[in-house]
Amino acid sequence: MDRLDLELNPRIAAGVRRARLRSPRDVLCVSALELQTITGLSPSDVQQLLATAAAACRPHRPVPAVLLHRGECPRLEPGLRLGVGCVVINELLRGGLPVGRITELSGQSGAGKTQLALQLCLCVQYPTDYGGLDSGAVYICTENSFPIRRLQQLVTDQYVMRSDVPPSLISTLKFSDHVYVEHTADLDSLQVCLSRRVPLLLARGLARLVVLDSLAALFRCEFQAAEWQERTRQMLNVSSTLHRLSQEFSTTVLCINQDWVCSSLLSPLSSSVSPALGLTWANQVCVRLMMLRSHTTISRGNQHSALRRLEVVFGPHLARGGVDVAVWREGVRGVLSSDRIQAQHQSSQIC
Amino acid sequence: MQRPVSSLSLNPGVKVKLVSAGFQFTTDLLHVKPQQLSKEAALNQQEALEVLQAVRRADEGAASSSSTALELLQKEEEELRSIVTFSSQLDAALGGGAPVGRVTEVCGVPGVGKTQLCLQLAVDAQVPRCFGGVGGQVVYIDTEGSFLIQRVADLAAAAVNHCSLLVEDQEQRVAMETFTVESILSNMFVVRCHDYIELLAELHLMPGFLSDHPRVRLLVIDSVASPFRPLFDELLQRTRLLSGFAQQLLSMATSHDIAVVITNQMTTRVQGAQSQLVPALGDSWGHAATIRLLLQWEGPQRLAIIVKSPCHRVSTVRYTITSEGFRDAEQWSEPLSQSETGKQGV
Repeated sequence: MDRLDLELNPRIAAGVRRARLRSPRDVLCVSALELQTITGLSPSDVQQLLATAAAACRPHRPVPAVLLHRGECPRLEPGLRLGVGCVVINELLRGGLPVGRITELSGQSGAGKTQLALQLCLCVQYPTDYGGLDSGAVYICTENSFPIRRLQQLVTDQYVMRSDVPPSLISTLKFSDHVYVEHTADLDSLQVCLSRRVPLLLARGLARLVVLDSLAALFRCEFQAAEWQERTRQMLNVSSTLHRLSQEFSTTVLCINQDWVCSSLLSPLSSSVSPALGLTWANQVCVRLMMLRSHTTISRGNQHSALRRLEVVFGPHLARGGVDVAVWREGVRGVLSSDRIQAQHQSSQIC
Repeated sequence: MQRPVSSLSLNPGVKVKLVSAGFQFTTDLLHVKPQQLSKEAALNQQEALEVLQAVRRADEGAASSSSTALELLQKEEEELRSIVTFSSQLDAALGGGAPVGRVTEVCGVPGVGKTQLCLQLAVDAQVPRCFGGVGGQVVYIDTEGSFLIQRVADLAAAAVNHCSLLVEDQEQRVAMETFTVESILSNMFVVRCHDYIELLAELHLMPGFLSDHPRVRLLVIDSVASPFRPLFDELLQRTRLLSGFAQQLLSMATSHDIAVVITNQMTTRVQGAQSQLVPALGDSWGHAATIRLLLQWEGPQRLAIIVKSPCHRVSTVRYTITSEGFRDAEQWSEPLSQSETGKQGV
């Protein structure tokens, strides 16, 4: 109660000590009437105590939204987006993934989720002028080992992928030095990783993107159906840690999730799949993206790729909708309609 | 009617002293001087003063607080307008929109449009009076990080555009000069609360803020559920805090004439072999809001259902979210792919 002692009338401070209230937080958790009883103070003193405690617990006063709009309040609105390195996808996401919030990317296996995540690990290293955040990435693997060969391939093909960036700039970036890989096989080690090692990297400014690939695996294997309460508690724990990290260090958090067959009440998607982990998790994410793999193949030169669709399921600033994307050797790119006509044309010739 | 001294909001020790000195009812204390009281009831000066202040407050409250139903009706019709939602069907169902002086709760699954409705109301609360708005300021408490200024600016621009098309007379033309995106955003006060303590603190200080800014007509909390849900282990504590919280919201809504709009998440309740979606935070929280609005999906369409309200029929309306904001659904039902891509203008 040291911080409060200085600002309080000695008479009120004595009452607070009598009631063994240790911090302003404790004071706020007790109702005014109960405070009167346990501190033995008068109603006006209690009101003063509550006001002082509330002022101590409130970090910032309300600010007019126009300051956020002008970019004068980076605490609430960093005004940055992490671009994906492709004009078509960036347009869908209105610039890219929001900073300081949790984005979820879900999809069936083979949909291209990890591909997009790897690409973001490189995109984040570009200067802000080119849609990056001028920092590195932390990649937390829970299931598979980190696809290091694919990352190398993406790095060497950056010249092809990012034709918008001067090659001289690309050659100065040491991409693989700034991707920090963590392997966590269970929930405990994930918590240790998120509460100790990741904050260290973020605090030093070495990373501004955290990828978690994937959360569902941990929750699916560790709990029986009857242990849902414990499961919910753990999930809220992880999500609140992620929220705090993303806010405190204005970092983009990308969580990869798998698909699960689910009821149609939860989402408007016509297909019967929806992301795993249920409502409790869905309530925690800010933007939810989904990748769907179709059976169509498109080709470009000597490369072939399954046609995928990247959908916005929800996001406070995004319209629902999607774009067709394909995974090429240099990375994930949107497919323009002109490309597709060409692709279909080609495939009919092959047939 | 006589009010017993023991019912006053006073320190218990002081109350015991008063009763033992023979002061049973507040009327006994009405004409007593502080010095006399401190001598008779063995109280110190400070305590005696506070007792008399409490008595006077209770006396004034009893005299002034009652008003007839007719007066209330007139006040509601003349002064307390509702805040329009820009969806004429929902406005009609709610009798004009989110009512000033009441607490409205919006529940729904993620992505159904709770935040969009809140942002829309935050913009609409500032529509000038001559356009049928309330022309007020807004406090927006964001607990989930879903307040994205990009989207607010979109909605504000759409609202300004909408009103500029409606201009008919000189008064409206003058009002439009000050109704701009810039002015909408500067009359919207944003706070980010990370946990329930920060939210409780903010709410404690809110009456002071409202007195400093008497033009505030809307308080939004998006959402109440996310800071309180981690209090999973201490259900008793959570229920207690929430009931106090609900009371504070209600008293702010009535004493400052503001509309309070809060959002709530949905959770799954398992009963036997069946499970259903219900609003989070438990059954007792269900009493917190005067009006409860449930947003849900039905196939590709969005529905708003008035689940609970003392003055509206239980009704269901369709709505949609466009790039301009919260709007009426088209009368004819379009296939999903067309309507959803059409709204992006791609």
